[in-house]
Amino acid sequence: MVVSDRFDSRVTTEVSDSGDALVIRVAGNFDFNMHREFQRAYRNVSPPPRIFLVDLSETDHLDSAALGMLLLLRDYCVEVGAEGVQPTVELMNANAHVSHILSVSNFDRIFSIR
Amino acid sequence: MNAFRVLIVESDTPEVSELRQLIHSCEYTNSSGGMSPAIVHCVPSAELAQETYSEFLPNLVIFGPVAAATASPGDVRQLRQSGGVEPVPILFVLDLTGQDALPVPPTTCDDILTKPYSHPLVQLKLASIRRFCEFSRSLMAQRDRLRRHHADFLQEQASAREIFGNLGNESCLDDTPAIRYHLSPRAVLNGDLLAATRTPDGKLVLMLGDFAGHGLAAAVGAVPLTSIFYSMMPRGFSMSRVAREINRKLYHILPRQMFCCLVMLELDPRRNHLRILNAGMPSPCLKRTSGDLHLLESRHLPFGVLSTDQIETSIVNVRILPGDRLYLWSDGIHEARNNKGEHFGENRLLKLLREDGVESTQAFDQILVAVNAHAAEQHDDLSLVELNLCHVSLRKSGCPAGDYSENRRGSRLGNWSINLQLSHEELRAADPLPHVLSVLAQMPGAARFQEDLAIALGELFRNALEHGVLELDSSIKATDDGFVRYYDLMAERRGQLKDGWVSISLTCSEGDAGGTLTLVVEDSGSGFPAIQEPSGVYAGRGLNLLQTVCDEVSYQPGCSRVEATVRWGGTAVDRDTGDVHGNAMQNPSLPV
Repeated sequence: MVVSDRFDSRVTTEVSDSGDALVIRVAGNFDFNMHREFQRAYRNVSPPPRIFLVDLSETDHLDSAALGMLLLLRDYCVEVGAEGVQPTVELMNANAHVSHILSVSNFDRIFSIR
Repeated sequence: MNAFRVLIVESDTPEVSELRQLIHSCEYTNSSGGMSPAIVHCVPSAELAQETYSEFLPNLVIFGPVAAATASPGDVRQLRQSGGVEPVPILFVLDLTGQDALPVPPTTCDDILTKPYSHPLVQLKLASIRRFCEFSRSLMAQRDRLRRHHADFLQEQASAREIFGNLGNESCLDDTPAIRYHLSPRAVLNGDLLAATRTPDGKLVLMLGDFAGHGLAAAVGAVPLTSIFYSMMPRGFSMSRVAREINRKLYHILPRQMFCCLVMLELDPRRNHLRILNAGMPSPCLKRTSGDLHLLESRHLPFGVLSTDQIETSIVNVRILPGDRLYLWSDGIHEARNNKGEHFGENRLLKLLREDGVESTQAFDQILVAVNAHAAEQHDDLSLVELNLCHVSLRKSGCPAGDYSENRRGSRLGNWSINLQLSHEELRAADPLPHVLSVLAQMPGAARFQEDLAIALGELFRNALEHGVLELDSSIKATDDGFVRYYDLMAERRGQLKDGWVSISLTCSEGDAGGTLTLVVEDSGSGFPAIQEPSGVYAGRGLNLLQTVCDEVSYQPGCSRVEATVRWGGTAVDRDTGDVHGNAMQNPSLPV
């Protein structure tokens, strides 16, 4: 829905302290421009983690393309699950604006949100 | 085509032939490994070079020593301009014979060759110019290809736009002053979508959708969406059934990351009843004459995300009061950004609506003006809709005022009957209206009864289901909260239905002079209670409405059977004149 004109957004990943989750942190505007980076972040992990934790603490805005990317991640988990244990997706640390977008779209029904 | 074209400007003949020989003696292997020859053309003056330029189209221009010494900066500039955007280097030959020091090279040219010529140096210089020339040539070719693609792309979008524009031809958006709308696509194609039509029983159904993304991919989704909407709604399928079908279809055709946020609403202007389903859209705002604003939040996932749905429980019921207006918008309005990146936001919208006077109708224009003033540039498709919920025009016949005169006397309806019995399993989600209407649609003579029959059938089925089978009490609906509770209760009881039935029969008998169409609806309930007062709630609006569309309505207390009859023929044929509607109101057979 919105095309970003900001390019200072980025995706970083780290393994959680417990070791079973991959934290994907999206900073800035989470929109279509993040597409490749976001996909690379969860696809290039072998073996896949038990949990994909999408950390939105540094996310300023999230648009429908980002929601679409989360759906792709969810699909990827099902795909991975066909060969073993299915990872789960959790969203965390969303600010008020991003939480509002998630609740308006009712995505809180299909993703667990911390 | 790959030849290297050199234009020599020189008046002195021996100099010309020396240069020509020099150039031909330089071998060059292009990037793909082939030998490509040089083509040399000579002219004696800068003026003639200018004249021959556009014909010869050189890749390199060399001014011989005599010409270079006399060339004016103006001549060089003109030649350079003839090259257009493609850079064509201009070399001057400087004769250093007998000179000790290099004279100051002229600034108008790009480079120099010095005389006496050093073959290896000239070879080197020409080769580097040719590589440069090949590079700029491929760059130009790419530019041209991009230009062509872009032109094709715009052409395709224009055609697609025309198709999508035509998809809206069936809409009734422009038929009533009750609806105002503004759609402003960001690109050629709109990712937002607005559709509206009337149901056979005169309800207005409208949807505003927003596909994730914009441009072609987003607009393509509009095709199945509108075709389902415009084919099912006018046939009388219920809103939840149509919504379910749309969700199912989008789930199957859209790529996983695409989905559609959608608000769908059904307004029954006769019963002042608004049903609204919000799946992921910004909350529409209901503005009441009291000045109160009610936001109708999204209660459903966007369509196309999951194959299953909770449509029935996500629909919100609202009782409409005179003067109520509903505002719908896409997130392009919310998220219009100014230079500082601030969103326009819901608060600014609500402030505008709150400040707009109760009787005023300025809000629609004010919102558009404010959003345009706020937004630095348009980032997304913008849509705004205002619906005057109690506008008198909405109460008019929903069906287009077609000319039925051809069908009036000529075509027979015939003698037949159909019976439909719906068990409790069917009643959980049944939609009997489309099936019965489809029977009638097969008969050309029946077009004039379509709407009346749809209303009558809708009312009787609703009575049978809500009061007979589900045992709901209309008196709950007296308050706004009760209104909502009533419909929540209905959805709940309907979903858990364990027994009960509704039967519908339609009988047509036609003779030479005219005929009758009789609709009988019966249910498993305990039947109509004995009516204490003429305007008892039980026989409230529903049956009054029935009387306006049928010639005769009869039912007995303690019995669930209701019979409604439409007559035609004889002398009182012309239902068009409105006489029949008048008569029906005074129908003596009514027990009320």
